[in-house]
Amino acid sequence: MTLLSQPPVCCIAPPDLLRAVAEGGSPEEREIALATLATAETARAQRVSVTGALRQLSLTIADAAPAPGKVRSIYDVEHGGYYDLPGRKVRAEGDADTADAAVNEAYANSGVTYDFFREVFQRDGIDGRGMEMVSSVHYDIDYDNAAWTGLQMIYGDGSGTVFRKGSLTRALDVVGHELTHGITQYTAQLVYNRQSGALNESFSDVFGSLVKQYSLRQTADQADWLIGDGMLGSSLQGVALRSMKAPGTAWTVPGGGKDNQPGHMDDYADLPDHEDNGGVHINSGIPNHAFYLAATAMGGHAWERAGRIWYETLTRRLHARATFAEAAEATVAEAGRLFGADGEERKHVRAAWQQVGVI
Amino acid sequence: MKVSIVRRGGFAGLVTTTTVDSAALPAEQDAELRARVSRSGLLDLPARAGGPGPGADLYDYEVRVEDRGGARTVRIGERELTGPLRDLVGYVASLPGATKRTGPPGQ
Repeated sequence: MTLLSQPPVCCIAPPDLLRAVAEGGSPEEREIALATLATAETARAQRVSVTGALRQLSLTIADAAPAPGKVRSIYDVEHGGYYDLPGRKVRAEGDADTADAAVNEAYANSGVTYDFFREVFQRDGIDGRGMEMVSSVHYDIDYDNAAWTGLQMIYGDGSGTVFRKGSLTRALDVVGHELTHGITQYTAQLVYNRQSGALNESFSDVFGSLVKQYSLRQTADQADWLIGDGMLGSSLQGVALRSMKAPGTAWTVPGGGKDNQPGHMDDYADLPDHEDNGGVHINSGIPNHAFYLAATAMGGHAWERAGRIWYETLTRRLHARATFAEAAEATVAEAGRLFGADGEERKHVRAAWQQVGVI
Repeated sequence: MKVSIVRRGGFAGLVTTTTVDSAALPAEQDAELRARVSRSGLLDLPARAGGPGPGADLYDYEVRVEDRGGARTVRIGERELTGPLRDLVGYVASLPGATKRTGPPGQ
């Protein structure tokens, strides 16, 4: 179902236009306009009574009615590769569950992520203008990965060795991470290389974690601050893929090798471009830990203050090749703008970046 | 002939190295591997095929072939890994004689 096939309740044909048609149009036009007006008025009346009922249940209209820009499309690429994308469309917005768990999880988790950005930051989707959220599941064979291609999200099934089979769509923080890459593409456009690339990765981890915390209504001290918890397959031992609380401690490989994310600039990995684009998934540990420190120092729900500061910084303050130091200064300035130059938020943000050695 | 495939990046940022030495393979698989390397067009590709495109968390591949004292290494993005080259990567990973190692980057 697309937006256009939803009933024209309020926005497509405004009531004034319909009334003018009803008064001045041909008999056929008059009939159609009156019927549409009646539908619209019924819908408005229902909306008022529904709103009252929802209030008694401590819900809002957003819980019951889909937001206008929430348009999800799930495709099955049937184990094909990049040039087979997006694949066969298997679920559109508003469609019922299918028999395929990966399809339903990609649908549900991209919806939860959309709702998070809409409710917390009043953002309408990836581009801020209700862009369709396209996901393809069953990408490649035993693919241990999820990615944002620049146009859409892709999810593998997992091989069981690096990631557990089926875990990539099931994990809300993974879906939130990938969708945030789309938001970054439409805002700061952080270049996927070295420090700006590690910031790009870190913003995806920050909002991936916040989506999970929001869905669980956790405070900063209740959250696990892990990315990909419970996902690891048989060749990795540990709790998760990354830890924002304690970077570098999430997993080990039997026989050597471990999570080597740094949590401080002293351990920054100066890797060449061909090594993970200069270590974007490694050095992201430093800004990840700064966010964790700021959010836990502030306390409460991390999306309300620290999350707001990071969101405004990502969407309004960074240039495409921003460094860690520039991102740090931008978050400090944004904390001051949002919560006051003498507010505790600004102090906590500055202290967090100092603790990880960036400023 | 030795073929090694290093896969980097992805959401996890892990490095997975898959290596196979055709000397250790049955004659039939040795011939098949050589035929697939030849078909892959690897020797005609520039050392770095394609550049970083849009998107995030996609894989990068490094395919290295050593044979009779010569060696060829090609780095290629997931987008460019198509056709016979993609088949070669899949074939190497499927060989029971291949060794596979996963770890963090930079080690």
